[in-house]
Amino acid sequence: MVTPLEPRFAAGDRVRILDLGKPGHVRTPAYVRGRTGTIERFCGLFENPEERGYGREGRDRIPLYRVHLQQRDLWSGYSGRADDTLEIEIYEHWLAPEETA
Amino acid sequence: MTERLVTDIGGFEAGEVPREERPPLFWQRQLMAVFNLLWREKHILNLDEFRRKMEEFTPENYAKWGFYTRRLEGVIGLLEEKGVLRAEDVEARTQQVLREGRDGHTA
Repeated sequence: MVTPLEPRFAAGDRVRILDLGKPGHVRTPAYVRGRTGTIERFCGLFENPEERGYGREGRDRIPLYRVHLQQRDLWSGYSGRADDTLEIEIYEHWLAPEETA
Repeated sequence: MTERLVTDIGGFEAGEVPREERPPLFWQRQLMAVFNLLWREKHILNLDEFRRKMEEFTPENYAKWGFYTRRLEGVIGLLEEKGVLRAEDVEARTQQVLREGRDGHTA
C-alpha cells in the first residue's frame, strides 16, 4: 500500500463512505457505509487501527477525516429534526469522491 | 458485503435504557487501573487490539457479559494470546481465590 503524502480530501469535499467488506477489526460502522456526506475536517495522520488491532504497530500513518452526514440520510423514516447531523471519523481508504463512487 | 461486528449495533432497536447510578465495585476499579497500566504505561497491549479482542467474543457472550466482564475477558484473552499469561495459570489462580478467598494471597 502506498501512503499518500498529502491528504486526498479537503474540508467541504463531498464523499461517499465505502463498504470495503473487510473482515476483522475495522472502525467504519455498518450504518454509514454507502452513505454520502461532506468532509468537515482533516484530523491528521494516524496508524491504521486495522493493522494495530493485530499487534502490527509502527506502520505508515494514514489520513483520518471527520465526515459530516445528515441524520435523515442514515435512517429511513427519521423522525427527528430535518437538520440533525452526525459527524464520524473515517479513514481515507474508506472514502471515495461522491461522483465516482 | 457488510460484515457486522458484534459491537456494530448502531441502528438496532435498544428498548428501554435504564438510567441509574451504579458506582464501580472494587474489582472493577482494580481492573481499570490494570488496564490503563497495560496500554498507557507498559505498552503491553494497544486499544485497537483490545477492541478487536472484544469483537471476537461470540454474540452470546457479548450480550451476556456486562461492560467490566467484557473488559476483563478481553484483557485476559489478549494477555494469553501474547504469552504474558497462560490460561491454565489464570484458571488455577481463579480456583484458588474462589477456594481460599483473596486475603493473604500476593502471589
